[in-house]
Amino acid sequence: MLIAAGRLETPFMAEGTLASEAPARTPRRRAAAGRDAKDRAASEKRTSQTEELGQRSVELAEFYGGKVETVPKVPVRSLHDFSLWYTPGIAAVSRAIHADPDRAFDLTGRWNTIAIVTDGTRVLGLGDIGPRAALPVMEGKALLFKFLGGVDAIPLPIQVDSPDEFLRVLDAIAPAFGGINLEDIASPKCFGILEEASKRLPIPVWHDDQLGTAAATVAGLINALELTGRSFRDTRTVLLGAGAANLVTARLLIALGHDPHRISLVDQKGILHAERNDVDELMLRNPWKYRVALKTNGGGRTGDLAAAVEGADVLLAASTPVPGTVQPEHVRAMARDPIVFALANPVPEIWPDVARAAGAAIVATGRSDFPNQVNNSLVFPGVFRGVLDARSRGMPDEVVLAAARELARGAGRLGLTAQHLLPTMEETEVFPHVAAAAADACVRAGIARKRRTHDEFLERARTLMGRPARLVAALHRSHLTAPMPRGPTRGRKAT
Amino acid sequence: MTGTKADGAPATPSAKSDTPQVPIHLRPARETDVAAIVPLLLRLKRLNEEFDPLLKVRDDAEAQARQVLKVQLADPKAVLLVAEGVGADKDKVVGYVRALVRERPFYLPEQEGVILDIYLLPLYRRHGVGEFVLRATSDALKAKGAGVVTAEFPAQNEIAAKFYAKRGFRAITLIHARSL
Repeated sequence: MLIAAGRLETPFMAEGTLASEAPARTPRRRAAAGRDAKDRAASEKRTSQTEELGQRSVELAEFYGGKVETVPKVPVRSLHDFSLWYTPGIAAVSRAIHADPDRAFDLTGRWNTIAIVTDGTRVLGLGDIGPRAALPVMEGKALLFKFLGGVDAIPLPIQVDSPDEFLRVLDAIAPAFGGINLEDIASPKCFGILEEASKRLPIPVWHDDQLGTAAATVAGLINALELTGRSFRDTRTVLLGAGAANLVTARLLIALGHDPHRISLVDQKGILHAERNDVDELMLRNPWKYRVALKTNGGGRTGDLAAAVEGADVLLAASTPVPGTVQPEHVRAMARDPIVFALANPVPEIWPDVARAAGAAIVATGRSDFPNQVNNSLVFPGVFRGVLDARSRGMPDEVVLAAARELARGAGRLGLTAQHLLPTMEETEVFPHVAAAAADACVRAGIARKRRTHDEFLERARTLMGRPARLVAALHRSHLTAPMPRGPTRGRKAT
Repeated sequence: MTGTKADGAPATPSAKSDTPQVPIHLRPARETDVAAIVPLLLRLKRLNEEFDPLLKVRDDAEAQARQVLKVQLADPKAVLLVAEGVGADKDKVVGYVRALVRERPFYLPEQEGVILDIYLLPLYRRHGVGEFVLRATSDALKAKGAGVVTAEFPAQNEIAAKFYAKRGFRAITLIHARSL
């Protein structure tokens, strides 16, 4: 398990394996700029600790033999109960679903079960390592889904050779699930798979690299604009990187009223625009990027990042991590009180203290050890809790935007400042609200199989999202989960 | 995919009237247009390169393009049109058409109008532009005596194939290739 033994009473999770190593303090309470240089040195050291963490991860993976298991959720008083949970009694349950397929959401765990599906073609920063090697990551994600969202998630890496085959697999497994979480699929094929799966399947389909990152970014930006007295209508935004996350971020910004002409995307070849030399190639190979190229960058700005940021209000950097991609002079060239999100991991495109020294009014990164972490994990547990509770038939952008807006409001309720743009992962009271907002959006969109009031959704989300931490703690207290080994495991096994 | 046909024309034009509201103006090319057409021609050839290694663009393609365009301007059997923007883009060359009328010594009709290139910059595609350009080109070829109009494009260019198929074109000759 990734959860450190002593911490179960105050559930804390950051992305992936860093959870147990993350600092216990609340970053926003600390004075900002002055201490950032110190933070930076510390975090550089932490980056170098990744190898150490990796070794520990391998040992623990071996000790526990993975991270999740299935556990019955009904009493088994004696073997006689099997005739209720299995044959002959269960036949009547099957008949009921056969007569009314949606009854599966009442009579089975489908209401709360999703599949985490990957083809292993872009796993973390490791690239195309295949479905077998992707499994530990999917298990980790399943753990996060359960722990943070109360969602039963099945890790399901699949061996497929084409997007069509991928889609056929999704069609084939959909009857067992209330939702699908796509994970770690190479861009641009991830766009086509999500788009087509969303059309075909009668359940919500999500891809964190597109929707999760974009929703968290948009939530942070909503608050950053408010703090600096801006609105989407009159803001000029530069997105550095034109991968899965930023292409969706651009789409969501436009849906929120951002003038597409005042958005510019920049990639390795410079500003993306309708007359760039590679635009016909994009039309063939990446029509999603092609469409954004045609819509954005009004006025036809050309050139590199420096040309793009001239006078811009916002810079959203979600690029392939190349440290120093964003320079202080880029920030200085922006409008007054500029907003800079440097989201590359583990090393941001520009360090927060450097960005602030160059005049940035608000800085966010992808890291948990700086203020304002833009993190998928702020979004996906709540979104899935919500769409599952509404038994939604889909995941349209309005649901994603409802979650993003609620996340932004959550930070506001806790006290919105330049150092507290988004809730932290510890501020768990926000997440049931995100769930309820997503569920409400499903009801409004007419795609909810189950209509409940806002308060019902909220109460339900609180209960379901709160339970797993207690469950894990109880398993731990009763030694049904082996205690976390302190030192080297020397090949020992928990079971 | 809701793309645009590779040779530059839209995949889904809807204009049915004879004078569709298109964001371009089409006129015969002049000597002075050559400099503006060359980069568009190179874009089209580089797009074709995406479809097949046997369509690799030569290093001297730019000089070749200038030469070919000059020859065609002087050829009474050739059709060379430029598309200009409208409004703020009034004097900007945003696309071109290159076509010619060829003799068919053994077949009827005797004269074939061949569309070699149609290219429009992305922002000037769709909205019925392709339909409009195709019709204007066909008319120009017919005026030069063509009794049939054909279009040449890379075999792998499905977008172009779909565009022409939708407008009543069918494959009559296939060109198969093998490296030597």
